Amino acid sequence: MRMRKAEERGSARGVPGAASMAPHLDRIACIGLQRCVIPFPRRTIRSTRVAPPLRGALNSPPLLVGVDRVFVTGLGVVSSIGLGRTEFFQALARGKNGISPVAAFDGAAMGRGYAGEVKGFDARDHLTRAEQHRLGRCAAMALAAARMAVDDAEIGESHLAGPRTAVVLGTTMGEARILASLDREWILGGASAVTRAQLPRYGSTLLPIHVARALGARGMVLTLPAACAAGNYAIGFAADLIRAGRADVVITGAAELVQELQFSGFVRLAAMASLKCQPFDLNRQGLLLGEGAGVIVLESEAHAKRRGARVAAEVGGYGLSCDAYHITRPHPEASGSITAMRAALARSGIGAGDVDFVNAHGTGTKHNDAAESKVIRDVFGDRRIPVSSMKSMLGHCMGAASALEAIGCVFTLETGLYPPTIGFETPDPECNVNVVANVAQLGKNDIVVNNSLAFGGYNAVSVFAKPGVLPPPRAAGTRAPPPTMPGGNA
Amino acid sequence: MNPRLITGAGIVSPVGIGRQAFFEAMHAGARAEGHGPTASFDVSTYPHAKVAEVPGFDAAKYLGEKGLRTLDRLSKLLVVAARLALHDIGLKRDGAWIPVPEGVTPWSERTGIVVSNAYASLEAISELDRIAILEDARYINPSRFPLTVSNTAAGYASIWEELRALNVSVSDGNCGALDAVACADALLEGERADLLLVGGAEAMSEALFVAFDRLHAFGDRARAPDAKARSLPWQRSPVGVFPGEARLGEAAVLFALETEKGAHDRAKAQGLAAPATLATICGYGASFEPPKRAEALLYAAPVALERAIQSALDDAGVPAGDVDAVVSGISGIRAFDAAELTAIDRTVGASGFVSAPKLAHGETLGAGGALAILTAIAHMRGDGGAYAVRGALRGPVRTVVVTALGYYGNAAALVMKRPAS
Repeated sequence: MRMRKAEERGSARGVPGAASMAPHLDRIACIGLQRCVIPFPRRTIRSTRVAPPLRGALNSPPLLVGVDRVFVTGLGVVSSIGLGRTEFFQALARGKNGISPVAAFDGAAMGRGYAGEVKGFDARDHLTRAEQHRLGRCAAMALAAARMAVDDAEIGESHLAGPRTAVVLGTTMGEARILASLDREWILGGASAVTRAQLPRYGSTLLPIHVARALGARGMVLTLPAACAAGNYAIGFAADLIRAGRADVVITGAAELVQELQFSGFVRLAAMASLKCQPFDLNRQGLLLGEGAGVIVLESEAHAKRRGARVAAEVGGYGLSCDAYHITRPHPEASGSITAMRAALARSGIGAGDVDFVNAHGTGTKHNDAAESKVIRDVFGDRRIPVSSMKSMLGHCMGAASALEAIGCVFTLETGLYPPTIGFETPDPECNVNVVANVAQLGKNDIVVNNSLAFGGYNAVSVFAKPGVLPPPRAAGTRAPPPTMPGGNA
Repeated sequence: MNPRLITGAGIVSPVGIGRQAFFEAMHAGARAEGHGPTASFDVSTYPHAKVAEVPGFDAAKYLGEKGLRTLDRLSKLLVVAARLALHDIGLKRDGAWIPVPEGVTPWSERTGIVVSNAYASLEAISELDRIAILEDARYINPSRFPLTVSNTAAGYASIWEELRALNVSVSDGNCGALDAVACADALLEGERADLLLVGGAEAMSEALFVAFDRLHAFGDRARAPDAKARSLPWQRSPVGVFPGEARLGEAAVLFALETEKGAHDRAKAQGLAAPATLATICGYGASFEPPKRAEALLYAAPVALERAIQSALDDAGVPAGDVDAVVSGISGIRAFDAAELTAIDRTVGASGFVSAPKLAHGETLGAGGALAILTAIAHMRGDGGAYAVRGALRGPVRTVVVTALGYYGNAAALVMKRPAS
């Protein structure tokens, strides 16, 4: 077995020239060297400071299930711009481009040939031999990220083992390559040609099961296949599990891989760019696919306190809605997405004025970016809140996207840096938002919002904050009526 | 958990479509005949095929002809179930939402859907793969591409039925529909919707049939052990409840789930004295236990189900002795059936009534738990005794445990109670 910690993999491999674009080299250099020198070190719960007052007017206290706060205590990343917390954070700070020619299949035959494939990932570095045999690539990335998250949380086996630890993961298509292989055998050779041993390895159900098995978790295992919003769905439901008292620890996030059918589908939908993904840019051509896994460790406040955990962030409320409009396109008025974002703020007990940064869905398609800009303008008004899309660096990692972007939110909370939207050249009047263009920016970082939308009209928005900043949730049954807002899902 | 009320149901199943037809079938002890399917795929290649298809399912009868072309079978089953559920609860008439007074948020904004599915639109994915492999990926139909995404059927249900509060898809194999209840519980607790359509859906397809057939899971293949398939758990175990009898099925079931207050408020708004409550769900539990052998993947885990059942009983505050019936997920796969009975024996007792609705509907995977919940309601009405695998249905059934055992060591359970009146 060649397992080794992602943190030991050495320094990030930045794109040549990218470092010269970054004005925050001292800050970037700190990332991952010594946790204590990160500008905003993670806090130990035992020494929780008094929360600073919020700038904007508070809404009613947050509408959350249960009364326990939920904390992020560990991060694990498998991505095209870096493996593990340190590489990933350094890459975000530098604006590293993870897009490269597709290697897994002949994308050029479709007239497109670039994606954010994770070329530095070798399952042998992270999985046992038996796991390598059992798991497909998607689950392998999920498990590797989960192990990194557990290492990062410095949470011992005794805290993970047993029925109080659950695993909730999101994905869009799961082990799509295994299914494609089985389909190929069947189509070309008939039913008898289908490799029997491969059949049980397919199924999105398996992702959390592999992770639970490896980590000793014996609680609920669940996949939320919420397409491109799956990460936010998983994290939101995981937090609900903790708040409802059904788990103390939840390993959550999402994973996805680049697969040929998916690639072809987006080309046929005329939604794919040729070389670069340029969210919010006037000349954006569309999305580029990406892959990877983002997994975080969530703990109840009580559990984190008991073991003296260092806390990276607090999970606030989340908002959901459904456009019920079109299976692939967002609603042109973005009403559902606006409802979801307002709900996320209300459920966190904050107003729009309290938010410092929006980690956008930002796919780089005409429809998405225009609709999302409308949402941001509607919710945040003329504030010109900083907005950025990590998909410019990673490509669209589908189910894993909002999980990786959630980790990007933690990056902002810890470092004070907003990750850049690289490749941004020309502002689009239809996307009248304050894009963090090309270079990471330093700014206020108490509360950040993670926006996502998906096929099926799914909208999911999460709030992350520095620990102690959000007002405490109220006990169940003591809620005030939700604030009035257009649409349902208050 | 706080009690959640089941106040309506939309059912598309092999034994009946619609609530009335379904419960009449339960009363009569109907079983899907398991004849060769005629709608889902050409069975001429599989002369041994026996599957429990929804006979004569025609979505156009419920949805009209327009707009069905882009929907696959799974989406059609689910959209019809959603429409039937909304009509059953009286929130829709002739396909349209009932009006609300001025200033009141429309029902479409207050209603959401939480649906379990195990294998998504395999039919559509295989169709696109076939084009890509035999012709060229450039020829795949872009209007069919969204069907490759696991939540598309739920998305179509929202579009067709205008369900805007939220839309959640859940995947946990044949435990998924019980997990969907847990998700819905949290969403109702968080006041994210006033009413949720909760359940599961699974569609018959040739790809799904081939997969289970290759695994010798059901039907004649399961009766005749294959030397080459000795590694499969269902081939090793000599214990069987009804080996080989079960078959792959399909169904879509959505029931209306509400809080007690929400149900009463809705009933009042509809001019009713009280909501028509079919049953109350009051406890949920889930667990996982992996196989001991490192190389194993499939695993029947009685320990996981024991924990799930006990957790559900604790959640409901119900002692095991109060349980009148257990609706199991027993499906005819021998090792799993034995493990499920073992877990039931160790938690609820070895002498009580245990039923297996999959005798009627086949293994419907993501929809299985939802059909089990409906079977529990049938037991509360004194029906469904024909699906017994142990004991007999005697006396009033007030409390029912519903169990599901996954193929990978996952398990879930619910506790349900008969409504007070």
